[in-house]
Amino acid sequence: MTVLLEAHQLSRYFGGLKAVNNVSFQVNDGEIFGLIGPNGAGKTTLFNLMTGLTPVSGGTLHYRGERLTGLPPYRIAGMGIGRTFQNIRLFKGLSALENVKVSQHVTTKSGLWGGVFCTPASRAEEKRVDEKAWELLHLIGLADRATELAANFSYGDQRRLEIGRALALEPQVLLLDEPAAGMNAAEKRGLTAFVREIRKEFKLTILLIEHHVPLVMNLCDRIAVLNFGELIAVGNPADVQKDPAVIEAYLGAE
Amino acid sequence: MNDFLQNNGFLIVTMVQQALLAMSLYYPLMCGQLSLASPGFYALGGYVAAIIGTIEYFAPWRDSLGWVIFPLEWLAAGIISGILALLVGIPALRLRGIYLALATIAFVEILRVICLNLTITGGAIGIFGVPQLFESRWSYIWTFGPLLILMLLFSYRLDCSRVGRAFKAIREDELAADAMGINPTRYKVLAFVIGAMLAGVVGAMSAPFLNTWNARQGTFDASIAYLAYVLIGGSRSMWGPLLGGALLAALPEILRPLKDSRLIINGLVLVFASIYMPQGIAGALGKLRDNVGRSFGFFRGGK
Repeated sequence: MTVLLEAHQLSRYFGGLKAVNNVSFQVNDGEIFGLIGPNGAGKTTLFNLMTGLTPVSGGTLHYRGERLTGLPPYRIAGMGIGRTFQNIRLFKGLSALENVKVSQHVTTKSGLWGGVFCTPASRAEEKRVDEKAWELLHLIGLADRATELAANFSYGDQRRLEIGRALALEPQVLLLDEPAAGMNAAEKRGLTAFVREIRKEFKLTILLIEHHVPLVMNLCDRIAVLNFGELIAVGNPADVQKDPAVIEAYLGAE
Repeated sequence: MNDFLQNNGFLIVTMVQQALLAMSLYYPLMCGQLSLASPGFYALGGYVAAIIGTIEYFAPWRDSLGWVIFPLEWLAAGIISGILALLVGIPALRLRGIYLALATIAFVEILRVICLNLTITGGAIGIFGVPQLFESRWSYIWTFGPLLILMLLFSYRLDCSRVGRAFKAIREDELAADAMGINPTRYKVLAFVIGAMLAGVVGAMSAPFLNTWNARQGTFDASIAYLAYVLIGGSRSMWGPLLGGALLAALPEILRPLKDSRLIINGLVLVFASIYMPQGIAGALGKLRDNVGRSFGFFRGGK
């Protein structure tokens, strides 16, 4: 099994607060890697460090041997790392279809003149973008509402649309930040199957932040536990569940 | 008809010209950037045309090229405005919201004061006797009109192209657009340059139209006027700036019989329009169209 992502002593301090402190871990090609921890443990900050949205205070992150730390977000996205956001950040004033078209930006190259003068190359590209967008909308089950504004979708549908938008990047790595938040039990079960399905279909490696423990235990191959910015355990779900440090972080010491 | 055009030609051409200037704000706004730099580039474009049209150095060019010198003036104004926009845009577009608006107003002021003090721009007096392209005011519709149609086609195509989608994604959520692989700085600068080039070309067309050019062409007042065009017209579609610019340019003339009180009415129209049409005229018309469409659908038994 090859190592795809390697974090080495990744840190981020906000003033005196150590949001992420000396975190090192590896993610293998093709696995579903869960990231759990109590509120404020630094999970989302870690995702922001990995996608370049927040600059690191220290440490490095490598993807297939290439250094990601220091690169702007759009370059990291262009290398095949897609993400969703905990507090959904869709392009709310654009339609579902446009949302999924936008992030095909990195896989297309038609420029201003090509687009405006409708050159054959740009027209062919636009056709591919359109087809791909519809394909993805069918996959996430929103094809019949393609022209509706993203703002009008329900919470669960917005989360699915965010996943669809991230998949349009044709990523190799997908970072999902609390994809099940706000979903009911049935939707959560559906999500588990859906995440497995897209991993298989797109040959993805998935990192997942999630609070819902049964979902994480069921879905993830390996789990990392963060507490107050520190990595306290990494391993397969069964072992992590028994780890005394993890029990202490969640339930307090006896 | 001919009398009507002779009497109102100047106003009609001015409406088209102001609509074009309003559109120059539209491109940065597609990226969610409020830039008020257009009067600066408009003034710059006008100076380029006025200088090429009057100074001794270009006399042999003017003699040998004839009317062809005019399109060359537009081209030169567009290119010079574009280059300046690139230089100004890269640092300025690091600013957001109201700070960008202030920085671009400062840019307009700096350019105005420079033009006020240079010899080549005629100092405070400006440049007189800019050569005319046409005999009558009305005929200038043949320069501004095609440019407007061209820009509408350009905007229409841009809206559904890859670059246009990137613009709109940045407008909706710059951070999310960045995380989806779009370089925000690059596209914001591109939109700014497109707007600046348009304003520059309009300026170069306007110098012959107005016959004279001076530092009063690009002022803070003009920045605010163009802002009103997009606010009243609406900034979500290309029709907004077009309607806003044309209607607000015409309003003082339409209200002329009211003498001094017309300024009060003018102000009231702005206030009420911004209260009752927050999406601008284009937004209100779009909503009307949707509602009418829906009720027709209802009568036909549709959903």
